[in-house]
Amino acid sequence: MEEGGVNVIDLTQADESFVKELEALGADELRECIQCGKCGATCPMALAGLEFFIKRIVHAANLGLRDILLEDSSVWGCQSCNRCVEICPMDIKPYEVIQAIRRAAMKVESCPANTYEGLRNLYRFGHAVYPKGYEERRKKVGLPDKPPTVISNDEMRKKFQEILRNTILEEIAPFPLD
Amino acid sequence: MPKIGVYVCHCGENIAGAVNIEEVMNYAKTLPDVVLVKNYLFMCSDPGQDIIKQDIKEGKVDRVVVAACTPRTHEPIFRDALESAGLNRYFLEMANIRDQDSWAHWHDKSGATEKAKRLIRSAVAKVTFAEPLEDRYGDMEKSVMVIGGGVAGMFAALDLANMGLKVYLVERQPSIGGMMIKLDKTFPTMDCSACILTPKMVEVAQHPNIELINYAEVDAVKGYVGNFEITVKKKARYIDWDKCTGCGVCTQICPARVPNEYNYNMDQRRAAYIEFPQAVPKKAVIDRPNCLYFKSMEKTGKPACQICEKGIPPKGIQGCPADAIKFDDKDEYINLKVGSVIITTGYKVMDKSHFKEYSPHSKDVVTAMEFERILSATGPTEGELKRPSDGTKPKTIAMISCVGSRDERYHSYCSKVCCMYMLKHARILKEKYPDIKLYLFFIDVRTAGKDFEEFYVYTRELGVKVIRGGRVSSVDVKPNGKLRVRGFDVDLCSPVELEADMVVLATAIEPATGTEELGRLFAATCGREGFLREVHTKLYPVETASKGVFLAGCVQGPKDIPESIAQSRAAASAAAALVIPGKIKFEAIIAEVDREKCSSCGVCVPLCPYGAIKLQEYKGKEKAYIEPALCAGCGVCASACPSMAITFHGFTTEQILAQIDALAEA
Repeated sequence: MEEGGVNVIDLTQADESFVKELEALGADELRECIQCGKCGATCPMALAGLEFFIKRIVHAANLGLRDILLEDSSVWGCQSCNRCVEICPMDIKPYEVIQAIRRAAMKVESCPANTYEGLRNLYRFGHAVYPKGYEERRKKVGLPDKPPTVISNDEMRKKFQEILRNTILEEIAPFPLD
Repeated sequence: MPKIGVYVCHCGENIAGAVNIEEVMNYAKTLPDVVLVKNYLFMCSDPGQDIIKQDIKEGKVDRVVVAACTPRTHEPIFRDALESAGLNRYFLEMANIRDQDSWAHWHDKSGATEKAKRLIRSAVAKVTFAEPLEDRYGDMEKSVMVIGGGVAGMFAALDLANMGLKVYLVERQPSIGGMMIKLDKTFPTMDCSACILTPKMVEVAQHPNIELINYAEVDAVKGYVGNFEITVKKKARYIDWDKCTGCGVCTQICPARVPNEYNYNMDQRRAAYIEFPQAVPKKAVIDRPNCLYFKSMEKTGKPACQICEKGIPPKGIQGCPADAIKFDDKDEYINLKVGSVIITTGYKVMDKSHFKEYSPHSKDVVTAMEFERILSATGPTEGELKRPSDGTKPKTIAMISCVGSRDERYHSYCSKVCCMYMLKHARILKEKYPDIKLYLFFIDVRTAGKDFEEFYVYTRELGVKVIRGGRVSSVDVKPNGKLRVRGFDVDLCSPVELEADMVVLATAIEPATGTEELGRLFAATCGREGFLREVHTKLYPVETASKGVFLAGCVQGPKDIPESIAQSRAAASAAAALVIPGKIKFEAIIAEVDREKCSSCGVCVPLCPYGAIKLQEYKGKEKAYIEPALCAGCGVCASACPSMAITFHGFTTEQILAQIDALAEA
């Protein structure tokens, strides 16, 4: 990659099996992308100035650039707004490509640390985002200290965790599923 | 006194939007000999023409000025109107107050109005002196020569022959088939090229109305539309084609091995050879410069080899079983008379040697046409994919588009077919070898054509990697023999590189060798890039500057097979429309010499671009004579004649001077 200070992407490292893996993980229309760029013109992350945005991500996925995609954290910045899916003229569902890359990244534990925190929270509390001390604030405005979700119902929480243990999470979770 | 009618056209808003029609009409009424002035929204429409016709029939006018658009497109219409009303068709003058006035001075309404007045004044002055002229007719030879036996030439020949016309099909190579026969498959249908073409080749060869003249070139051309006299040089074949059965014995026993141009020198043929297995006619020729018999005869006067003729008796090897070898064969010149000509001499592909940045010295860097032969079952590897350098099967291939095209150093144009044939190559390879890695470097992917975009998307689905914005900057041979390819991927927004086993260059389509020379023989001109030029890109796409000479296929510019065939059939139709009536109309607007006035200086003779003027004896002296059928009415001779002995009908000196005076008037 690094050569004389200039970044050159070595296409020889491109891995067709990665393309196949992404297809199997839900990006099954990936190869039909003709790089028209319409998704990039609507993606909030691209509009916010993120350099490695949806159009480039899809192209890199098509080339099978596994390392680049897994090392870069851009896919985790996706806001899941689904505008790209609605707008894509080739119907490749770009968001599904993002999701597939996230799934692939999870398998090899190549995600940003806060991703795991969110996952752990999801498993433990049923909420990916679980800010501490919120119970007090809820009480102040007259709400019960916990929302009416699995977090306030131990029986349902256990069932929910049981469901998660039956998913791929059982294999890949980097924390104990107790 | 002439009775001149002036008809002012609004051309919708095109003229009326800038020119004050009423003011112009009032002015025209004041001009000498103008008896009436009328206007109409669209003078060229049927009701518009009827106004003119009615006035002529009622005897109100006998000269017509139409102030409208350009005579280039509309003069014939108004001439016909005059003629149908019983007036000589040349009593018409057009004042171009649209293209040369309203359009040009759209924002200066009063200036445009003044200019319209002047243009009309000048047209009125000229038509005052108009003389009645008659169109003439000449005989038409009811036959057509098609030059070039590729797919375009073959289809043109077949259409003409099926209309009952005699066709001479002249082909430079020993076999017809052209470039298409060399292709493995054709996009977007993936038909086997040879499979769909060979039946047509046979049909051409067997058609009773087609005379196939292979291994021959046009040597000289005389005459003109309707009566071309063409000398064709049939190259010596050194094998008697009347006897040759195409058995191929000579091509196997000939000891002289020569690079095989049919396969772009990637294998060898013999000096006695049949061009390719499906050749039509399937006849052998001897390539004289490489034949050992001729080489030794030239050096020592004694034959060193006659194996093709006599075999090698001690080894029990027999020579030509048909007794067809003919070492004393000579070039033959035949003269043919035809009414029209269609040029379909095709193209050649650019050689890789120009592109030093792509390591052309490497055997593993090939042009797309060479790659086509590598893929073909009749090619140097019999269709097996092999690296030319070591015969191994390549695992990674890079293909580069626009090599020599869209490049001001070579050809500024787009070669049009490369994007699609690169995708075709990729598809052939991926369908045969699913694990092969293919990288296609495009500037843009241009897939305009029926079913082309679908072909592109399908090819992508096969896993072909498309790199855009990516004309490769360099291909270098690495110490391990592999090729390092460097480019830029605009979609990744990054420089990229890869290691390939082979690199295929989509080199530009360029005019075939001798295109310009052939065009010159027929007075058909070439464009800047060396392709033969059509008269008008949209309206006259198969006509050349030379009357009766048509063109089709890649000789006019890069195009794919469907387009070549469509154009060739259009050319056949245009040639047939010209030839079938048996008569040809010559315009009356031509130059004529008054031989009493001619001083015999001869200055006009070399000036004529159409070769229409020659010196002929008249009353014991050499005087200029202009062949009416050849004169195209350009006027060069009339303006150059120092004795003013040449009358340019329709533009006489009297008319031109009157026109200039009228324009110059305050």
